[in-house]
Amino acid sequence: MEDKLKALAEEARQAIQQAADEQQLEQARIKYLGRRGQLHQITQSIGQLPDQQRPVVGQLANKVSQQLDQLFAQRQEELQTQVAEAERVVQALDVTLPGRAPRVGKRHPLLATLDEMIEIFLGLGFTVVEGPEIENYYYSFEALNYPEYHPAMDEQMTFYINDDVLLRSQTSPVQIRVMENQSPPVRIVAPGRCFRRDTVDATHCHTFYQLEGLLVDESVTFADLKGTLEVFAREMFGPQCHMRFRPDFFPFTEPSAEIALTCIICGGEGCRVCGDTGWLEVGGSGMVDPNVLEMVGYDTEKYTGWAFGVGVERFAMLRYGIDDIRLFYSGDMRFLAQF
Amino acid sequence: MRVPYKWLQEYLNVDTSLEELCHLLTMGGLEVEEVEQWTAEDGGDSDEILMTVVTPNRGDLLSMVGIARHAAALLGSTFNPSQVSYPEIEQPVVDSERAELGPVTVEIEDKVGCPRYSALLMEGVAVKPSPDWLRYRLEAAGIRAINNVVDCTNYVCWELGQPMHAFDFKLLKDGHIIVRKAEVGEQLLMLDDTWQVFSPEDLVIADPMGAVALAGVMGGADTQIRDLTTTVLLESAHFDPTTIRRTSLHLGMSTEASYRFERHVDPNLTLPALARAAELIMQTAGGEIAQAALDAKARDFEAKTLSLRPERCNALLGTQIESKMIAEYLGRLGLRVQEGARLTVTVPTFRPDIEREVDLIEEVAIVHGYDKVPLTIPSHLTGSGRLTREQKLHRRVGALLRTGGLNENISFSMMHPRDLDRLNWPQDASEREPLLLANPSSQEQTAMRTTLLPGLLEACSRNARHRVADVALYEMGIVHFPTAEPGLPTEQQQVAGIMMGSPLTTQWNLPPEQAEVDFYYLKGLVEQVCQELGLTKFHFARADHSAFQADRCARLIFGEQPIGVLGEIAQRVQQAYDLPKPVYAFELNLDAIVEQATEHRQYQPVPRYPVVRRDVAVVAPDTDEFSAVRLSAEIRSAGGENLVSVEPFDWYTDTQRIGEGRRSVAFSLTFRHADRTLTDEEIEEAMEQIHGRLEQIGGQVRTE
Ligand SMILES: [Zn+2]
Repeated sequence: MEDKLKALAEEARQAIQQAADEQQLEQARIKYLGRRGQLHQITQSIGQLPDQQRPVVGQLANKVSQQLDQLFAQRQEELQTQVAEAERVVQALDVTLPGRAPRVGKRHPLLATLDEMIEIFLGLGFTVVEGPEIENYYYSFEALNYPEYHPAMDEQMTFYINDDVLLRSQTSPVQIRVMENQSPPVRIVAPGRCFRRDTVDATHCHTFYQLEGLLVDESVTFADLKGTLEVFAREMFGPQCHMRFRPDFFPFTEPSAEIALTCIICGGEGCRVCGDTGWLEVGGSGMVDPNVLEMVGYDTEKYTGWAFGVGVERFAMLRYGIDDIRLFYSGDMRFLAQF
Repeated sequence: MRVPYKWLQEYLNVDTSLEELCHLLTMGGLEVEEVEQWTAEDGGDSDEILMTVVTPNRGDLLSMVGIARHAAALLGSTFNPSQVSYPEIEQPVVDSERAELGPVTVEIEDKVGCPRYSALLMEGVAVKPSPDWLRYRLEAAGIRAINNVVDCTNYVCWELGQPMHAFDFKLLKDGHIIVRKAEVGEQLLMLDDTWQVFSPEDLVIADPMGAVALAGVMGGADTQIRDLTTTVLLESAHFDPTTIRRTSLHLGMSTEASYRFERHVDPNLTLPALARAAELIMQTAGGEIAQAALDAKARDFEAKTLSLRPERCNALLGTQIESKMIAEYLGRLGLRVQEGARLTVTVPTFRPDIEREVDLIEEVAIVHGYDKVPLTIPSHLTGSGRLTREQKLHRRVGALLRTGGLNENISFSMMHPRDLDRLNWPQDASEREPLLLANPSSQEQTAMRTTLLPGLLEACSRNARHRVADVALYEMGIVHFPTAEPGLPTEQQQVAGIMMGSPLTTQWNLPPEQAEVDFYYLKGLVEQVCQELGLTKFHFARADHSAFQADRCARLIFGEQPIGVLGEIAQRVQQAYDLPKPVYAFELNLDAIVEQATEHRQYQPVPRYPVVRRDVAVVAPDTDEFSAVRLSAEIRSAGGENLVSVEPFDWYTDTQRIGEGRRSVAFSLTFRHADRTLTDEEIEEAMEQIHGRLEQIGGQVRTE
């Protein structure tokens, strides 16, 4: 009886292990382990054995049954895994096909550049304010110390709605609006759209963006202006980039300075873009004229300040290597989707 | 200004290379834009020309002598005016407003417009072409040579900076010069052969018969120097910058003379200029000075005296320049300085732009060199900067639209009112009355935009012309409206978007009708914008808007207030813009949305018990009365408090299946109780209520 049981166990083990698929495995299960299987038949005949043999054979039968069950489960899992793997091969993907997630839109390169510029000044502790695109004559010129009928007005090439209302030609009026409503210290940057009656070509446009900066407090110096804009230049284009200051004239600053940036195309060596100077003019700056501070009611002995205004287009063009300013307003998907 | 290098060198004492000089001037406030190689037309001379850009405050840099003086200050050398020689002239006859001597009378009627008028009479002059050296000088400077007399006056203008005029004295009635305002409609044939009609704000030089020159701008043709002229009256006057500029602007005449007078000419230059011109005329045209000069002037022009605190100078610049050095810098510029705790500085009349202490500080900085001012980080930069609430919310809206696949676009703020015709914009809408520009720069852009849609459609159209048929753009920008009250026009922040074709995904295996965007995609974006900004009380209603396709347009309504429009662009507009596919667009009043926005979000506990889902399909008349939003509201109200969501999942009209004029809408319903699992009975009861309600309002519930 014991031998018979052992032989059956061996036979069943082989049948289970050699089953090539789940169907064969199932047949083996029915044949050996099923309710009418051979193992069952043997266990039923245990009762006919002599008393002293019964426990021994009974234990053996249990052990064989357990082992075979375990073996069966193991083989079943193996076969299922094989099947799953086989199926996976059938469903192989061409992973080189393009993805189908919806395309995300892009920030406009000009405004992305403006954001970048604003971030730098936010980090330096400046607050961002905005002013109206259509301004009064007073804020545009009078409060900025422009004398009436002054040749400095020529550069502004202003669009007018009427004698008193005009499209701002620079963001500087925001300085006045802020100072009228706030006592020093003042620390602001003002981004915005400006307009000048310029003919449109690859480097000029009647619409452009400026970023204005203003710092007014006790003992603010021209050296501070230079230092701050130097930080800005380096943050924007890297440590090899510097700002150059040279005398200029703006009615609302004294001393006034034109600001230029190391030409990042040639690294300051001189090229076509910078007109062989190694510098690119990016805006104007200076110490706020005492007349301006006086008009907003600040004590000009106690407070000094500086202001700057830089064009955003130039920075964006340098940043992305864009050579035609008109592209910004082209609405061309082939351009806008690049950034 | 064209500055011939050889000419300039005559007044410079130093040996410095041209390149160095240009750099020095540029860094010292007189930008040299480029250096041009010049060769005379007849090949007889050549030079290098410094092309300078003079800032409007520095009229003194519009002459050889002025530039040389400034260069010397920057170089730390002395300035050499020895080349400028003057003949002996008798002490001039000076009078406050009327000077008379011999045959000449000078009378100033308008003392504001002309504070000083000096004149010199020359006789026996032989008018002929100028000698070569003079012609070349003028040609290099870009001035057309006329004849020796006129050329000499122009030479003096370039050399000293004093614009002059020469009259044929015999053609002046009674030898009598009157400086006065023009009469209404007074006319004059000018030197450039144009007739000009003056108004009473223009200043003219007249004789008793009428105007003979437009003061400070251009002479008249009738009294000009001609070949037979022998007696010349030289004019060397000081005119008020504002008066000249006003005339120059309104007559549209800008000349070398007006350009200089607008920028202020030294009032004490009139007599030296006369003497210098007389010398050159005698050299090139012979003749002699007939009598003493006449010098009518309303007042004396004296040097200003200012005081400068060296410590204030250093405090403003952030420098440590010694008081002695400050004095030296100012001295180099031709200012007289008396040292002391405060410097007392006398500013000659050739620098009218220096009026205050701060102006002197700028001069110190210029001579010292801006590049020598140190770089410091302001100690004032403490605390953190921030964006305004509006700026933050605008950024969120932009980010959301980009996530939705729209690329940011910017277009011009100006438009033409007829752009709205092309868009078939409603005739009676407020957008039809834009703010007009008084001086547009082009015929196409004469008004301020009142909507962002023309810009976006134009962009769409340009893309289509480039065979880009898949377009997804948005713009955030300001539109303007006139206001009835005085003051500034209304500025309104808008956001608009446009979509055409299938810009969202590469299309493989995707049927085009699934890849192409539609009304509901765009509507989803608009809904998400509202949700992103925390708006709750908004809804959409069918709208009529002639720019949009009938029955395919909706308004976004907040409370009672319409705050946006969206839909499919009308077919005729699509054709007008030559667009190959249907176009969907929206435009929202972002200001109104931001005003209602709330950044606050309240946490809702995450449900602990499972949901139960059921579907219901209802067939109803295809009318607004049975809109999806109404049906879902009815279901909600009938479904009880355990019904937590009602989402449509199937919508169609099909004559064969459900009959004509009818539509079928199927909703997916979600039931949930916060504290326990719902029973089948509860759900069945709610569904019965819902079916009952739908039948009751005229719907027909379809069961599988
Ligand atoms: Zn370069």
